[in-house]
Amino acid sequence: MKKFLALVVSFALAAMMLVGCGAPASQETEAPAAPPEGDADAGAAITAETIKIGFVHVSDPSDMGYTYNHDQGTQAMQQALGLRDDQIINKFNVPEGAECDTALRELVDAGCNIIFATSFGFEDYVKEVAAEYPDVQFCHATGYQAAIEGLPNFHNYFASIFEARYLAGIAAGLKTQTGKLGYVAAFPFAEVISGYTAFYLGAKSVNPDVTMDIMYTNSWNDPTVESQVAKALIERGCDVISQHSDSTAPATTAEENGVWQVGYNNDMIPAAPKASLISARIDWGIYVTEAVQALIAGEKIPVDWCRGLADGAVYLSPLNTEIAAEGTKEAIDDASAKIISGELHVFSGPLTGEGVDFDGNPVSIDLPEGDYYHEQEETSAPSWNYIVPGCTVVE
Amino acid sequence: MIDIVTALLMAAVLAGTPLLLGALGEILTEKSGNLNLGVEGMMFMGAITGLIGSYCYEQALTAAGIVPNGVISALVALTVSFLAGAFGALIYAFLTITLRANQNVTGLILTIFGTGFGNFFGEYFGLAAGGYVAVSSVTKAAFSPLHIPLLSEIPILGKLLFQYNWMVYFAIALALGMFWFFRVSRFGLNLRAVGEDPAAADAAGINVSRYRYLATVIGGGICGIGGMYMSMVTTSGVWVHGCVTGYGWLAVALVIFATWSPLRGILVAIIFGGLMIMRMYVSIPGLPAQIYDMVPYVATILVLIITSVRQSKEHAMPAGCGLNYFREER
Repeated sequence: MKKFLALVVSFALAAMMLVGCGAPASQETEAPAAPPEGDADAGAAITAETIKIGFVHVSDPSDMGYTYNHDQGTQAMQQALGLRDDQIINKFNVPEGAECDTALRELVDAGCNIIFATSFGFEDYVKEVAAEYPDVQFCHATGYQAAIEGLPNFHNYFASIFEARYLAGIAAGLKTQTGKLGYVAAFPFAEVISGYTAFYLGAKSVNPDVTMDIMYTNSWNDPTVESQVAKALIERGCDVISQHSDSTAPATTAEENGVWQVGYNNDMIPAAPKASLISARIDWGIYVTEAVQALIAGEKIPVDWCRGLADGAVYLSPLNTEIAAEGTKEAIDDASAKIISGELHVFSGPLTGEGVDFDGNPVSIDLPEGDYYHEQEETSAPSWNYIVPGCTVVE
Repeated sequence: MIDIVTALLMAAVLAGTPLLLGALGEILTEKSGNLNLGVEGMMFMGAITGLIGSYCYEQALTAAGIVPNGVISALVALTVSFLAGAFGALIYAFLTITLRANQNVTGLILTIFGTGFGNFFGEYFGLAAGGYVAVSSVTKAAFSPLHIPLLSEIPILGKLLFQYNWMVYFAIALALGMFWFFRVSRFGLNLRAVGEDPAAADAAGINVSRYRYLATVIGGGICGIGGMYMSMVTTSGVWVHGCVTGYGWLAVALVIFATWSPLRGILVAIIFGGLMIMRMYVSIPGLPAQIYDMVPYVATILVLIITSVRQSKEHAMPAGCGLNYFREER
């Protein structure tokens, strides 16, 4: 019996070792170089030769969506600044929990000078770790707390994706035949609500009778649920599906069921050539490059960074001309020019909407004619939190 | 109304099929007296290898200038995922049957190992393929819903019965076959004897080790096929990190809910699948989504309580399940 126990224990230990090596939360694509050079000359200036950059991602580039798109930005930055592979450390598949804290600390230990955390739920952990390591710069995408906290090394960044979504909505509004759009949404947060409202308003600008059903997946990246939700929306009569979720599952589901789709984060035409019309994308490379450059040059990184269509920080992937409705390109180009010139504002009156704030209290908005909502102008995080008439949240 | 019910049932069958396959594998394993908790691990192993199998087959043929065939690609995925699941189960069988290691501990280790195995190779091949591993449209078409002339066109019934992908029919045929196997066939009856009372079976001249090895390894292979359903059908042939997570444990719960009967397994799998997607079709105002997610587990606990209160011998776990057989201790 003793022998048997010893055997069990030794196998358990062996398995634990395997787990330790392969634990998804700590997989690194680039092995950190043996001795972090930053330690020896901690006070010395950071140069392009010595800088180390860390990234914490909620999934990995195989999602072909959000993380893929952000990683494209990383690669653009690496190329622009001529950095070596071992200067960039990626932490993929980090859940929005205590694992994020561990991942951030591991990056600090590996000698990173600047760390980018790319998912909304990382913010609380970033805030905590940033306070402990004032010498390391922390940049968090899609968050809102940097301005509130006032830490010198904690920054938020995002792009005015609502502008690109408005334009993508035009393609959907012109294409729909049932007059009903479907939206696979991640969470009932302002970031998501602002996105789908913009998308809906874009569709409505060319198709005044259009309505939209919204269903939440309660996850940023869960392809199984995303495809199930897309299927449920199609069963409700929606014939153009759009999404604020990370994977291509809504696109492939739309294609399988003979309806159309408008993507997010990535050109989804290769995934679903018969369904994907166009996608709204963010070019993360602009910010990531600017922030790293600023650190090397010894300049300050802005507390809140947000750029839009005019600067190319958000853009549309190529239109699928084979299936898009006639006149789509012209309508999008027209609206795009007006947004860039400032003539057209996405959330402009007359517009009413109702929603709930962070504490669950009902809030409402009533924009008069001629006025518009200043989305993402003061903070980088979206704040439009109202459901407009014509949008139905299915729950 | 009827449209919503049809849509709900269809979605329930699609969501329930991987659970049914995982549960069938586990029923076969447990009937032999092995409690293999590594279902999730074996499903992960089947999920990644099935996808990689199809992918490599396509790549090899495309490189040679031949157009890949969807049916062969699907068969490659089926075979490879079965072998991978069987390999995982073989590790378990060797440890528990030959070395007589603790079954629960070994099963848990297999879960952890399989999860790492799947995610590691998923990421590895993704990076090697330059972004992500995905099969081509030929293989995707082989796993998309069938269209049978005439039958699929019957209103409602055609949609409900004849418009699934082939793996749904495969799973149901397997459940029916397994029901026959346990009820009628000589091997099946011997296997049940081994699971209930290995000492008595041994005395009757049945080779306990051989039966346990075969049932566990084949059961593991079926779990692997269930995992392949996740990567090929649910995520449409794209590897997604952690795509099986949670499903293996639901399959283990389903075995208990189905009270170790493959036939009841079909019904229970549809119920479990239905509970998972119900919130998207039937909305109860004010009920948070998290409550819906809990329902399958609450249902399993209720079934466990009811079956143990009733103490029905027919619906109970095989008596020898979870215990290793020491011939010397008879």
